[in-house]
Amino acid sequence: MTSMTGTAARMMSGFGNTSLGRAFGSILGKVAGGFLVLLLLTAIFAPWITPFDYAAQNLMNGNQPPGWPHLLGTDQFGRDVLSRVIYGARTSLSVSATAIAISITVGMTLGAAAGYFGGLFERCVMTVVDLTWSFPDILIALIFVAIIGPGLTSTTFAIAIAYLAQFTRLTRAQIVRLKRETFIEATINLGAKPHHILLRHLLPNAIAPVIVVGMLAIGDGIVLEATLGFFGLGAQPPTPSWGAMMSSGTAQLFLSPWVIIFPGVVVAVTVIMVNLFGDELIRALDIRDRIRGA
Amino acid sequence: MTVNLMEVRDLTKRFTAPGGPFRKARVMHAVNGVGFDLARGRTIGVVGESGCGKSTLARLILRLIEPTSGTVRFDGDDLLAKSAGEMRKLRARMQMVFQDPYSAIDPRYTVARAVTEPFVVQGRTPDPGEIEALLTMVGLNPGLASSFPHQISGGQKQRVGIARALALRPSLLVLDEPTASLDVSVQAQIVSLLEDLRSELGLTYLFISHDLSLVRYFCDEILVMYLGRVVEALPDTDRPARHPYTRTLMESTFAPDPAMRRVIAPLEGEVPSPFDLPPGCAFADRCPNADALCRTDPPALERRGGHPVACHHPL
Repeated sequence: MTSMTGTAARMMSGFGNTSLGRAFGSILGKVAGGFLVLLLLTAIFAPWITPFDYAAQNLMNGNQPPGWPHLLGTDQFGRDVLSRVIYGARTSLSVSATAIAISITVGMTLGAAAGYFGGLFERCVMTVVDLTWSFPDILIALIFVAIIGPGLTSTTFAIAIAYLAQFTRLTRAQIVRLKRETFIEATINLGAKPHHILLRHLLPNAIAPVIVVGMLAIGDGIVLEATLGFFGLGAQPPTPSWGAMMSSGTAQLFLSPWVIIFPGVVVAVTVIMVNLFGDELIRALDIRDRIRGA
Repeated sequence: MTVNLMEVRDLTKRFTAPGGPFRKARVMHAVNGVGFDLARGRTIGVVGESGCGKSTLARLILRLIEPTSGTVRFDGDDLLAKSAGEMRKLRARMQMVFQDPYSAIDPRYTVARAVTEPFVVQGRTPDPGEIEALLTMVGLNPGLASSFPHQISGGQKQRVGIARALALRPSLLVLDEPTASLDVSVQAQIVSLLEDLRSELGLTYLFISHDLSLVRYFCDEILVMYLGRVVEALPDTDRPARHPYTRTLMESTFAPDPAMRRVIAPLEGEVPSPFDLPPGCAFADRCPNADALCRTDPPALERRGGHPVACHHPL
């Protein structure tokens, strides 16, 4: 028993010593991090915790105000708003996280190659990447919708491209800075090949700020997904998404405001929590200057 | 097997700042026609002010940067003719200790991983005993093996740097101001460690420093550099200086004993810009003996009464 508590304590202190653990150290970090963990668990276990089927219509029971048994009320089709908000977390989080993961993967590869090889290659890559920055996110999404039709795939690609430039530039800036460090010259002088320098030294040292900016971008991605959903470019009915729910809620804005208020509040709170936790992570990793410098 | 481990001839490096529509291209002469022979087991010291091209010279002879012209022969091989792959293999035999130990180790690497890396990049797996022996050889407690760079002192970091450099059993070690960023007491420890290693392992050193008294203590021969050129090559450390610049350098070291203090004559004037070298001797504007010839005609490094000196009016 004693040894078990000891092991548990050691594991806890081990976690407390990692950067993620230190981000949980402050009260702000605990609240924001706790909320995000809870949201993630809610999204994962949605089928087991939703009180009703998110798609079950009951036209006799439409536009019910919050109360029992529909805690957050029902929409015009009598669907349970709470269940739809919970399923909406699945859509929003998975679309945003997938998009940012694609963005980070492609952005880091391009940025690292541009920063490492430099020259004409760097200029070509950065020009193309900057070009994506000059289009409004909505326009990029429209292009994808025009090509592959509305839905979560085009939303995902639109978000991924919208944030591509950010990760490419950030990675490139890190690599260019690190390349001048003495330990890189020292390792070249040991006879290291370029891939060793890039994979064993440059990227591991560049990854921390990218992860944090990625974390913050997931928050922005949720807003962008909601925006696209609001315009009907994202999730198609009956798949619930926070943005699409707000969009369909506008019709009954004065009749049943809860249909639009609850998804809106969840989007706002989630994005605030993502940003707060991201700030705590920046503090824990002590990389504020490196993120500003990009 | 040749007597000279390294033969450098007429080594030149010019950096070009590219021009544009509104400015002319500018050329900087970092290293200008430098040549020397480094015999096996000997130590050559390179001294000069900051910006005189010492560190560039170190990187040129290790081919960390490509020279504009000249030749470097290492153990009889023409280094500049080697392919990238051959060069990577050859690097195992010519290592460098860097000026700034604080940034010479990857902050994410432990001491053990940093010292193992030389073997890894050369495609070998060292046994743990080998790493421990290396750490002991440079005077590091093997207990520090799992420490990260930010957990150890500057002197210890420099010892890690030396261990990394010696891991592959090089013949040549280039020391680029290895003590310049360390505390004075630690400097002495590192210098004595380098002396011990030199005799134990039979190493050949190229020792770069701005500290002439340290170079005179540590080295067999001295090259004095001024603005990218060798102005005097002293074959031993007791020989009196014949170039006015070397003389000034020697006279500007402080004696610890107040009774031994003498008037120090500081150099007048500024070092000319390496972008805009004067037509004659680069030192002429600061030299008490300069005349019209010095301002128009650059002196060559020639043997004048004993050892090579680049001066029209050697002392």
